[in-house]
Amino acid sequence: MINLSDYVTAIKGINCTSALSLEGVKITGAYVCDMLSDVMGSAKPGQVWITIMKHLNIIAVASMTGIPAIIFAKGNEPDTAVIEKAIEEGIILISSKLPTFELAGKLYKLLNP
Amino acid sequence: MSPKAIIQRLKYFGIQWMAITDHNSMQNCPAYEMVAKNEGLYYSWGVEIQSIEEIHLLAYFDDSSSAKEFDSELYNSLLPINNDVDFWGDQVIIDENENILRVEQRALINSSQWDLNTVAEKVQAYNGLVVPAHIDAGVNSIISQLGFMPSEPELKLFGITAMLDIKSWLTEHPDFEDKVFLRASDAHYLNDIGKGYSIITVAEATVQELILAAKGVSGRKIEV
Repeated sequence: MINLSDYVTAIKGINCTSALSLEGVKITGAYVCDMLSDVMGSAKPGQVWITIMKHLNIIAVASMTGIPAIIFAKGNEPDTAVIEKAIEEGIILISSKLPTFELAGKLYKLLNP
Repeated sequence: MSPKAIIQRLKYFGIQWMAITDHNSMQNCPAYEMVAKNEGLYYSWGVEIQSIEEIHLLAYFDDSSSAKEFDSELYNSLLPINNDVDFWGDQVIIDENENILRVEQRALINSSQWDLNTVAEKVQAYNGLVVPAHIDAGVNSIISQLGFMPSEPELKLFGITAMLDIKSWLTEHPDFEDKVFLRASDAHYLNDIGKGYSIITVAEATVQELILAAKGVSGRKIEV
């Protein structure tokens, strides 16, 4: 388990939900997928979710699976409605310019030094 | 599939109303419309749009000039990638006699850059009807891509695959209880035509009537 804030620093991530603090949030790994039906069935609580999907439904999916933070790859940024819903549900949204492969790789390295 | 062969098969099965819904393009509608009408079938302009979330959405139009305007907006929203003929085959545009008019170069297999809500808004702006395609399919359906049907856009009519047992599907998807379904063959090959159809009760074979049928106005209905 590592601190979300350490991972966000490693991927030069920007917190789109600045009303939510990264302080004290621990993560156990990641689930990487853009199909929400698959994420609903397979993601585990405590994992971040790395994706390029920005539809509003991602917040409900994160909320029901216990995902603390969604990491958007390739500089993708969600629109205001998604950010507002995320703040309401307490889901942290991070945008990073890195591609999905590197986002997963960097996290794997942090978890398995 | 040639227009004449398709329409012969539709007539064989007694299917009276058709649409072809090519991926992201309506350029072949004029040829099929002409053959269909000559053979006494009802024809609606249609297209299967792939949204940025890779959801397949059917759109139907009554007025061909609105449909053409929509088609050109849709074309401009497609990712600017050329078709790889070795992988996907030629994208031919034909006339009613099956002569090749031209070959479309842009890859129609790719997604539009419109998201689900934008697709719905655009189709409705051109007086079209948007119907999420094959919602029970494991890929490219609203449910596979988004997990569940979002509250927006508000849609009533949903496409289902040719063989779906709708009653048993609804037990697993109770949030669709108040929806209406449209079954079609989604035929990609001649032999698939006729495997799925809907019985539609309307005053005339128009998309506007289909919209009323989805709402169940004055005895209109869609049975699958």
